[in-house]
Amino acid sequence: MEIVFIAAAIILGSGALATGIGFALLGGKLLESTARQPELAPQLQTKTFIMAGLLDAVPMIGVGIAMYLIFVVAG
Amino acid sequence: MNSSRKPIVRLPMARWLAIMVGMLMIQSLLWLLCGWVAFYSAWLGGLIFVIPNAYFTHRVFKHQGARLAPYMVNELFKGEAIKFSLTAVMFAAVFLLIEPVHVLALLFTFAVMVVTGAVVPWLVKPQQQR
Repeated sequence: MEIVFIAAAIILGSGALATGIGFALLGGKLLESTARQPELAPQLQTKTFIMAGLLDAVPMIGVGIAMYLIFVVAG
Repeated sequence: MNSSRKPIVRLPMARWLAIMVGMLMIQSLLWLLCGWVAFYSAWLGGLIFVIPNAYFTHRVFKHQGARLAPYMVNELFKGEAIKFSLTAVMFAAVFLLIEPVHVLALLFTFAVMVVTGAVVPWLVKPQQQR
């Protein structure tokens, strides 16, 4: 039974870590690009939002599977 | 900040929501072939995606313009953290409080909605007003 919780923890932890790294890079690049060309800020914001949606797609599915493991398989 | 000013980017929220809810309805109706439980499980799976994502979109576009870019990045991080937590809490609530649940319908619909949600902003892009 404990192995299920460990698996869920690994899924959630890796998903959160990967999303954190991805969002840090994305946010950093947005700030850098906006400082270089402030007139492009609205376009860059839109592109950042679109990329954010793509970035957290897989970790979100991971969250769903981890919750399934915790509350259905182990519960 | 610039809340009293006219927004620079106009979000097609109504069209996004219409596409998402349309996709959700189609999938839920397809799952209805497997029974009533599969229908509402699929509907819940879609809502678990749509509600946190709508909140995230609201937070990301709270601040606009080059001067407010640091605030926007701050809201991006906070919005993502809350979206992640809200998704986990909603999944936990569904698995704990709703009985019975068709798990395959719930997770499959959620996964399809996640992919749809990532693709929809490419198809219907936000428009700049200046």
